[in-house]
Amino acid sequence: MTDVELIENIKRDLGAKALEVTNPDRRRIFLKVGPADLVPAVTVLRDRYDCRYLATISGVDKGEMFEILYHFASPAANINVRTEIPKASPHVESISPTIPGAVLYERELQDMFGMVIDHIPDPRPLVLPDDWPAANYPLRKDWKFERPQEIIPGGKS
Amino acid sequence: MKFQIPIGPQHPALKEPISLRMTVEGEVIRDADIRLGYNHRGLEKLAEDKTWIQNIYLTERICGICSHSHATCYVQGVEKLMEIVPPKRGLYIRYLVSELERIHSHLLWLGVAGHEAGFDSFFMYTWRDREIVMDLLELISGNRVHYAINTLGGVRRDIDEGQKAKILEGIITLRKRSEYYFHIGANEPSFVARLAGVGLLTKEQAVSLCAVGPMARASGITRDVRKEDPYAVYDEMDFEVGTAESCDVLGRVVVRVKELLESYKLCEQILHKLPAGDIVVKAPRKAKPNEAVSRYEAPRGENIHYIKSNGSDKPERLKVRAPTLANYPATVEMLKNGFIADIPLIFAAIDPCICCAERTVSLVNIRSGEETVVRLSDLRRQAIERHKNAPPKRNAVWPF
Repeated sequence: MTDVELIENIKRDLGAKALEVTNPDRRRIFLKVGPADLVPAVTVLRDRYDCRYLATISGVDKGEMFEILYHFASPAANINVRTEIPKASPHVESISPTIPGAVLYERELQDMFGMVIDHIPDPRPLVLPDDWPAANYPLRKDWKFERPQEIIPGGKS
Repeated sequence: MKFQIPIGPQHPALKEPISLRMTVEGEVIRDADIRLGYNHRGLEKLAEDKTWIQNIYLTERICGICSHSHATCYVQGVEKLMEIVPPKRGLYIRYLVSELERIHSHLLWLGVAGHEAGFDSFFMYTWRDREIVMDLLELISGNRVHYAINTLGGVRRDIDEGQKAKILEGIITLRKRSEYYFHIGANEPSFVARLAGVGLLTKEQAVSLCAVGPMARASGITRDVRKEDPYAVYDEMDFEVGTAESCDVLGRVVVRVKELLESYKLCEQILHKLPAGDIVVKAPRKAKPNEAVSRYEAPRGENIHYIKSNGSDKPERLKVRAPTLANYPATVEMLKNGFIADIPLIFAAIDPCICCAERTVSLVNIRSGEETVVRLSDLRRQAIERHKNAPPKRNAVWPF
């Protein structure tokens, strides 16, 4: 199946859910859906387009909005599902019930961006330490790292 | 009666920091939990403050074993963003290093598998042969670990006829050795008995948990980015995707040895077809606002980078997903209902690279002082002299 045919089929199957479909490069398809349509769209992709393999989930801080990209790979193409959620209320539904391998990436999003993944099967932090201060989300653009002052007990001699 | 035993973050069976919590019932593992983050270096954040060129060297340091994989994956993506096409010769050299790296990584893993299975002579054999490919990599790039051969628009070093001949010669030896390992892996009764049936991961589980690389291929999934989404030179090459149907650790050994043999084939094809011409084109300093998804088949599985540019000389976002992270959910399934004694073997079978999965930066401080460059021959001469002048050792006395 060529990219053009694939895009036609995806547009037909998703209907109004597909807000925007682009094909910037060979075998790379970017599909934009609304946050409420995410799980139904992923289910359609999984069942009809063999997108059972989720490569990863990327979060991007775009100022007022967060962009989330779900990078799926099927034998035919690399389908990237994009959705945007407001930073003020960063809620998105978990796709882990549909794609069980997604849970680690969703936990990483919660850690690094402070997004809230609703109905995630395992909400614990993934990579940040246990004593990490609350409401510090390292990959947000307004978060800056400041190296704490080094204190040597007894002072330098 | 159930107990929970912690393994790691510091544990003799695991070489890198990761914590596994096992819920055991007698000798049988009923549940497993993996905790990460002991090695997190915040590299994705750091990449946003560095220029496109600086980030090549940053991504190269994500991992110490598959360093070229991350750098190549990044460079592929940035070249798409900058709309530059590297010359053919440059690409051939870049992917020659890729294949040599796969060979060294798989030989390293075979040794570890042998060691964990209690077959230490196998470990010593494979690591001795790994030196051949390490020397070849040093011959091409000047380095054994971080080859630093990639640059935007091509590679930094050319290879000449003499080097070509030496690589081909090394590959002949390695192929002979690998065929012997294949024979051992499939026939040595104690080795087979230790590995067969350990760490089962069915095809359905591997698909639903998004396993990658040799893990997925040992469960009968023929997913290899080089075949599925051929990047750069791979559509011009003739090779097969090695798979196994046994779904256990033995299958993972077989898959990796098959991949070794395919990599030798690829190296020879690349060297025979090596076109003449330039190795690099000039890359612009900035990239237009755009985004790219770059996929690469690293020795451990698919490596994916998502790169977004904003028109400046620095990336807006660089997302790295190393193959080990993708294999963790499947590892938990593999550990369940296994035995405690199988933990190191199962865990080693995914060829875990914790520092890859956590993308950290480790810095080593060299004590300030004079640095001198010593040639290898001088070093060897010094070592021999020192050995000669050392006081003679008394012969060991048998205690009984």
